[in-house]
Amino acid sequence: MARYHGFEGSTSRRDFLKLAAAGAASASAGATWRPRKADAKPAQITFMRESSYVKEFDEHFKNVLIPRYQAETGIKIVYEIIAAGGSAVPRTVAIVESKAPVDAGWVQQEWLYREGLLDVSDIAKDVGKQQGGWYSEIEGLSVWEGKWRSVPFGNIGQCMVYRRDWFDQAGITAFPDTWEEFLEAGTKLKKAGHPYGMSMGHGFADNNSWLLPLLWGFGGQVVAKDGKTITLDSAETARAVDYVRKLYKDACLDDCVGWLDPANNKAFLTSQISCTNNAMSILISAKRDLPDMGKVTDHAPNPKGPKGRFHSFVPVTHGIFSHTPDPAAAKHFLRWLMDPKQVAAWYRSAQMYHAPFLHAYDKDEEWNKEPRFKPYQKVLETGKLVSWPAPADRRAGEVVNKWIVIDMFAKACTGTPTKTVIADGVAGLKQIYG
Amino acid sequence: MSTNPVLEAARPATRAVPAGRPFRLREWLEREAVFSWLMLTPPLLFLLAFLGYPFCYGVYLSFVKRPVAQPATFVGLGNFVNLWNDAIFWQAVWNTFRFTAAATVLKLVGGLGMALVMHQNFKLKGMTRALLLLPFIVPTVLSTVAWQWIFDPGMGMFNRLLMFFDLVKQNQGPSWLGNPTLAMVSVILVNTWRGLPFFGITILAGLQTIPDELMESATIDGAGTWARFRYVTLPLLMPVIFIVTTFSIIFTFFDFQLVYVLTGGGPANATHLMATYAYSVGMSSGQLGMGSAAALAMVPVLGVVLLMMSSYVRRA
Amino acid sequence: MVGELTWSRRLVGLWLPLTLLFVFALFPFAWMAATSLKANAELYDPTANPLWIRHPSLVHYIDLFKETNFVVWIGNTMLVATVSTVISLLLGVMLAYPLARMRFPAAGLLAITVAVTYLVPQTLLFVPMADLINRMKLGDTLTAVMLTYPTLLVPFCAWLLIGYFKTVPKELEEAALIDGASRWRAMTRVILPLCTPGFLSAGIFAFTLAQNEFLYALLFLNTSTIRTVPVGVTGELIRGDAFYWGQLMAAAFLGSLPVVLIYSFFVKYYVAGLTAGSVKG
Repeated sequence: MARYHGFEGSTSRRDFLKLAAAGAASASAGATWRPRKADAKPAQITFMRESSYVKEFDEHFKNVLIPRYQAETGIKIVYEIIAAGGSAVPRTVAIVESKAPVDAGWVQQEWLYREGLLDVSDIAKDVGKQQGGWYSEIEGLSVWEGKWRSVPFGNIGQCMVYRRDWFDQAGITAFPDTWEEFLEAGTKLKKAGHPYGMSMGHGFADNNSWLLPLLWGFGGQVVAKDGKTITLDSAETARAVDYVRKLYKDACLDDCVGWLDPANNKAFLTSQISCTNNAMSILISAKRDLPDMGKVTDHAPNPKGPKGRFHSFVPVTHGIFSHTPDPAAAKHFLRWLMDPKQVAAWYRSAQMYHAPFLHAYDKDEEWNKEPRFKPYQKVLETGKLVSWPAPADRRAGEVVNKWIVIDMFAKACTGTPTKTVIADGVAGLKQIYG
Repeated sequence: MSTNPVLEAARPATRAVPAGRPFRLREWLEREAVFSWLMLTPPLLFLLAFLGYPFCYGVYLSFVKRPVAQPATFVGLGNFVNLWNDAIFWQAVWNTFRFTAAATVLKLVGGLGMALVMHQNFKLKGMTRALLLLPFIVPTVLSTVAWQWIFDPGMGMFNRLLMFFDLVKQNQGPSWLGNPTLAMVSVILVNTWRGLPFFGITILAGLQTIPDELMESATIDGAGTWARFRYVTLPLLMPVIFIVTTFSIIFTFFDFQLVYVLTGGGPANATHLMATYAYSVGMSSGQLGMGSAAALAMVPVLGVVLLMMSSYVRRA
Repeated sequence: MVGELTWSRRLVGLWLPLTLLFVFALFPFAWMAATSLKANAELYDPTANPLWIRHPSLVHYIDLFKETNFVVWIGNTMLVATVSTVISLLLGVMLAYPLARMRFPAAGLLAITVAVTYLVPQTLLFVPMADLINRMKLGDTLTAVMLTYPTLLVPFCAWLLIGYFKTVPKELEEAALIDGASRWRAMTRVILPLCTPGFLSAGIFAFTLAQNEFLYALLFLNTSTIRTVPVGVTGELIRGDAFYWGQLMAAAFLGSLPVVLIYSFFVKYYVAGLTAGSVKG
């Protein structure tokens, strides 16, 4: 079993268990599918996730799904939630490294540690077949060397969030369709005292989610499809950098160059900015706390560039850590969780803010409850993994986590010439791609 | 007061032990070396197990290429060579120096002042001292969240004050966390705010150990306030000041949480410190070997700083 | 104490600087307190004064208690901080006392070794430490952090204590020894009581750092009910990019006030201990 690289030593035992589990997988839930001694107590499975900004999502899991699974199988599920951003990835890395007692969960940035995840191809394939098939772009993340290392769940979409009232006042009746129009509109709005706030700091999502689509829309690419050739240094990239510098100067609030992910929520909700790129969380907060603002806040897809319209994924996938003492039990739980009887209601409990990667939910009635959320479903069609067009591997992850591309734009905004920032970016990429 | 109650308390008890009785074990225990090593063994064993082992493991990691969940391959000094060639690393080194130097000086001067002010008699002394410790007490992750609002361009207290006094117009206030220079100033300010009380209270404790008689006799000899401070207080405080400063240098040098929550090292690496850099390489990017090398690189740098400081203090 | 002060000197020398210190140290708390008592609508209102509350509301405090395990987290934090402080002080004294006041072989080497332990960055240790905790089967237990925090604290406690131990004149100890006291008795009855401020200073330092610690608590503790305040609060009140500002600030406030009360008691005691025990020749 070469793919385990022999670093855990208990491969043969696990494989035996897997075989045993596969043999019993068709049997209905109960005591038979788990190879365990008759006197063994029911297992406990620890499932870890980043805390959700739609509280109801975590509550649904705790109050509906956990009791239901316990009633059906007698197995207790422990739900561990951790904060986003700085905590989630290091925590997962530590879990993989120290084989901490966590069995499964949202395997954020799985490209860093796929070798520490179980093969879940059987579950992913069955779930796909059963529920309309997967969006193909997500396979670039979940499938590695021919095997599914995670079961995709949903995309936390990132779109343009804007104040329709201020856009109307400035005479902009439709949200800008191209990046050039976006700049024009922003210039007007900033003059009217309502600048944009486009995050460019060392955050985790709100920076990549517009800067990468913008770069791609202008025709720039960070690394080529082969995952080796550094293609950042191009005339297209230079145009994108110049554009962002101008956008920052003419249309944005000064502060946004240093923003982490909560900062644009704060600025939007305190009426300091007219537009930003974010997930649904702003509208959800506004509807709850500021009903007036909730009425005039709207969403739009990212503008398009000369090379088209792009979005970037913030994908949520579930995986099983290969150090789990009872892989069969963890797999059974994950399969059960992704069954439409469970997962459909779970998606809906969060107002679809995890846009399902399964085509069966493309036209789900939940999308009609708040039409303003629909652009987030559309993100799936033009969405790419942040590594695009290169494969989503460890090195692509390093580029993201060291903010190489983000800093290229941020430096340009704080006054460094285009040539220098691109050269710095390429130097950073060379460190990673060697 | 002419007698020391503690000594008085100790004396009668010690007299109760018959002197000069031949009791070998006790004599053996009374030898300085034996007594010392008996005391030292438990803490050393603890440190060996919980610090020595992880440290050696960390050093080993810095010589291998070791992505998460993958086996290690020996690369010798490869990780350090990579660091040497990484412009971001050097920026982090430079930032760490500036951050540490500025914050330490501010905390030292402020803390000395705070201690001198609090070394006086006034009502509610205990409560005042405890309240002034608040910045040091509140968990950094939470106080830094508050600072995110205090530095807010439109809603923050700084810019609200500037607007109140008509120094800046609406939406024109300085960008405390967006401007690269100001961002550094801001993280230094927050670090100073958090660390100052510890300096104050520690130096205050040092002040309290200075016998009043020394001050009184200096006053009788005609020394003014400044002379008393310069020639009596300061020399006697030197050991405490030296320790607390060295402390602060180390903690500031390794500071991670504050910057991570406030700026993440941005904008464009303007506030990236060696610790946040090591964290982003080792933990967020999953290069455990490189991350360990980056963390280990802090040790000699910091060692040199401390050596320079201690030799300076010895000469002075 | 320090001569007679006139009213104006007292103003310049005490009240003015004290006021400035208070403003500098406490204005963020004024904001925190105000925010914890405001409903979100008012917090986000751009026309509202950051320090003034128009419609005070306890909603964040109620939610904090109702929806999270805050009380449990406080309990855990106090327990962990107390235990690791006690361990650190004990080990710290054992390390500091010989180093500060005794001559013995290999003292120089030992001093250097201990000095090096100060320089070990936490960022270097967390992967090895996670491994160690896992090998000891301590993952997800409070014992894990109780044992790992002292590794951060012992070197510094020892160091602080060395400083205080050195300030006590050697004659005091010699006098006790001549009077027939054993080394142990001289230490516990003469030297250590004189260093009470040192203990309080090191204790406050250790306790504060322990209740503040984030990284090890994040990496070693999973279950909500065995988390400490910093990890529990950020895990459940920082949801994606949506911060529950009011509840976060309520937690910061409620979490630190008990500590302030404890400290104010200790600081008083430490002043009393000083007047009784200071070196009066």
